[in-house]
Amino acid sequence: MIPKGAEGIGHIATRIAVDLMPKAADAYAGADMGLIATLLGLVAQDYDRAADNLVADHADIASILREAQPHLTDASLRRRAEAAASARCQTLRVHDLAARGDIEMRVLIDLHETVEKAMDEGAAWAHALNARIWRFLDEYVARRTYQSAF
Amino acid sequence: MTEREQQLEAGLGEYLAARWNAAVAISKLSRIPGGASRETWKCEASANGRTQGLIVRIDPETSLIDTDRRTEYKTIEAMFTAGLPVPEPVFLEEDLKWIGRPFSITKEVPGCQSSAEGIPPDHREKLGRQKWTLLGQVAKLDPLKLGMDGFMRVPALDACAREQLDYWHKVIVDDEIHPNPVAHAAVRWLLRNPPPPAQKLSVVHGDFRTGNYLYSPDGEIRAILDWEMAHLGDPYEDLAWSLDPLWNWGHSEYAGRLLPHREAIRVWQQSSGLRFDPRAFRWWQVFASVKGIGIWISSSEDFHKGASKQPILALAGWLMTDRQQQILVDYLSPNSVHRFFEANA
Repeated sequence: MIPKGAEGIGHIATRIAVDLMPKAADAYAGADMGLIATLLGLVAQDYDRAADNLVADHADIASILREAQPHLTDASLRRRAEAAASARCQTLRVHDLAARGDIEMRVLIDLHETVEKAMDEGAAWAHALNARIWRFLDEYVARRTYQSAF
Repeated sequence: MTEREQQLEAGLGEYLAARWNAAVAISKLSRIPGGASRETWKCEASANGRTQGLIVRIDPETSLIDTDRRTEYKTIEAMFTAGLPVPEPVFLEEDLKWIGRPFSITKEVPGCQSSAEGIPPDHREKLGRQKWTLLGQVAKLDPLKLGMDGFMRVPALDACAREQLDYWHKVIVDDEIHPNPVAHAAVRWLLRNPPPPAQKLSVVHGDFRTGNYLYSPDGEIRAILDWEMAHLGDPYEDLAWSLDPLWNWGHSEYAGRLLPHREAIRVWQQSSGLRFDPRAFRWWQVFASVKGIGIWISSSEDFHKGASKQPILALAGWLMTDRQQQILVDYLSPNSVHRFFEANA
């Protein structure tokens, strides 16, 4: 276990940027080191939040899919939505959470398209659900925002 | 000098000797940082008592963008002929026997830099006016008179937008490692809100932004670089890309960190002689960010699955995807507070 992982990775990034980069053999190597230091800064942020983001995504998507189910006439999409909303992970490893997240995100994308079509056809319920999905997308992006000098 | 550098120096020397029919000495060979679509090297070549700085662009094992080197080189030739500031083309070589990969050579434009961070504040406005004047000049060109239909596809005016959207949509679908709900929502918005036909067929640089031109210490743009995504299409495509908030991150008052958005558009209009239609331009603004996300998703896929592990590919796939998603939800979400300045606001 890396003690205080996000901080530790941040320290490594600083070491590269401040101490090693100025000693790079040439401009190309120096630029690469700068990029690697920046990347480590991003990894440090994800180290701390990745599992939390994926669990929060799942909770939000499951709630949206349950809300959508009464309106879904496509049997295949309804089945996929039911399965995704109730999907459980064997572990809290990021790899497993991300695999579940990929499946439910594909369902959400298809649902969003269905909702947009329903809006075009004048279905009143679709407007509220569309707004709900966009609130999730706002959150989805906000959760993944990196703090970076760039 | 590494083994690769020794091989490159020897191969380039032999190649230029064959092309120039003279003994050639290569010196000061070094790789230039940045430029994720090609390996870019600089060197000096001496022959017949003269020394010339050269830029060598070598096909990479993998890159941010899958592009055709011949199209890029021929476009630079056409722009050079048209009198636009581009590096003077010297040779295009597609035979692998010289250095193991295809490459092109242009003359070096000495004493310049491309860094957005390096722009002196007192040259900001001057560079901005040149930048959008040059982009207007590119838009104004008649690509058919320049013979560019000889090496580029010629889309119908009412097909320019859809062809580009289809291309980048496919890149997103093919390359996304994790499904991106924001990108897909934006693609559907573009499909549901098609723009009017292009007002003319233009040369589209494809990546016209701060960082892709060389400027001198006295604030003159000496060369437009990186034509690898050039194609024929709607002139709004380049204008929208040049104004994307990604290129002025943290400096939202200045497009490309150079000029206020409205002023940049005014300069472009004056130079190109083209009209500005905010409704049509809105589509191209959203498209610019979808194209951006396509490039960043593709680079991330290359980093994970391709031969190259260049950090620039990973950075594009992570940080740039984050930034571009923020822009897209800002443009499209019903809950948006529209924190990014919109040129047509």
